[in-house]
Amino acid sequence: MSDTIRDMVRVTDPIERISHWLLAGSCLFCLFTGLGFMFRTWGFIPSLLGGLYALKWMHIFSGVVFGFALVYAYTMWRKDCAFEPDDAQWIKQGGGYLWKTSSLPPVYKYNAGQKLFFWFVVVFGVLIVLTGLVMWNPLAFPVAVARWSYALHALSALVIGSFFVVHLYLGTIGNPGTFQAMTTGWCSRAWCETHCPRWLADHYKKPE
Amino acid sequence: MKKTEYVKLIDTTRCTACRGCQVACKQWNEMPASRTRNFGSYQNPPDLQWNTWTLIRFQEYADKNGDFKWLFRKDGCMHCTEAACIKVCPSGALYHTDYGTVALNRSACIGCKACVSACPFDIPRYNQATDKIYKCDLCYTRLHEGQKPACVLSCPTGAITIGEKKAMIEAAYNRVAKLDGKATVYGDKFVGGTHVMYILSENPAAYDKLPSNPKVPASVILWKNLFKPFTLIGMGAVAGMAALHYLIKGPHEVHEKKEGGEHDV
Repeated sequence: MSDTIRDMVRVTDPIERISHWLLAGSCLFCLFTGLGFMFRTWGFIPSLLGGLYALKWMHIFSGVVFGFALVYAYTMWRKDCAFEPDDAQWIKQGGGYLWKTSSLPPVYKYNAGQKLFFWFVVVFGVLIVLTGLVMWNPLAFPVAVARWSYALHALSALVIGSFFVVHLYLGTIGNPGTFQAMTTGWCSRAWCETHCPRWLADHYKKPE
Repeated sequence: MKKTEYVKLIDTTRCTACRGCQVACKQWNEMPASRTRNFGSYQNPPDLQWNTWTLIRFQEYADKNGDFKWLFRKDGCMHCTEAACIKVCPSGALYHTDYGTVALNRSACIGCKACVSACPFDIPRYNQATDKIYKCDLCYTRLHEGQKPACVLSCPTGAITIGEKKAMIEAAYNRVAKLDGKATVYGDKFVGGTHVMYILSENPAAYDKLPSNPKVPASVILWKNLFKPFTLIGMGAVAGMAALHYLIKGPHEVHEKKEGGEHDV
């Protein structure tokens, strides 16, 4: 399969897309079911899924899937998401999203904002999985460990949940032409020149 | 309508450790016994269990002067006003009754075990076979019918009594005034006041597994009073900012590079 067709460029491979959706799907399902535990008044969540007891096991199962997907995502994207000196400049300019700026330092595969999101998900994802494992069987741990696991689990959900909303916006309506990077995997050359120019120059020759 | 708040008062100075309350509790609540091993104490079973909601703790204690004492303390749920277990329970299985006590609707319990570590008194017990939590409910069904809890009824020395909260607190202080200097009232000064109180013959610190200053754990307060609301506030605020960004700045469109023109960021 060729990686360029006319003015389209293949920016992700199927493995990347599958692991992305495994991570995203399990994360969202955990978030949704987790809100069912957090807010007793949101009875519609357990009602939709067969009651709070069923919700407990679905949350645990989905959390385990999230854990494995997270480990895979980490090994897959950590190199692309390693910080570079230029990233500080990108952050200082707000990525060009918030105010008028001079042109941004050219990005390789992922910009500094995407990298930040990745590392936040890795750090708080590991935290939420580890604390979740403690909460699965809190009686096997010292009481202080068990107690703080609940608090840190909720904190991690807060952080991941809030970043998720940013990710959702910037990956869909905030950046037209981006969403197909995670569906078909093909984005326009113009999109690549805007979002990942150095990666494009490295991988694809301009058709003459 | 709010009914009378009750307090069960346990006067350890009157307790002979006959363990009648332990037996009566098991009988009324139809809890089976578990086989145990003698570990060198009359205390049996060694700790609270899912099927043992109250337990007389036997403790050999020597005070500063080297005077030896045998301390007996009837352990069990303290029925807090600021109950950490209720605060963390996701299903509402744990709840405050009209008597101010903490009851447990076991059919609603999902066995998440959050209450076990949250409790400052280490009371709730988990049963793996039923995947549910068990603890004293101060004989809610008996109170409802105007009866005393089983342990109160069984006590031959009058060490366990129950009554209206104010009167019981008053009775506790009157009793302590008649005892020697070390005796203290335990229960009215923390977690909003407990609905089980002690008259202790020694300083609270002398007793095994009895916190001197119990409180709702800081982790529980952070979790429920801060992180919980901020999950919605955080996600909502970010969603609001994204919507504003879309309306004010608009989406970040990609423009084709014009020949010889500057690329528009």
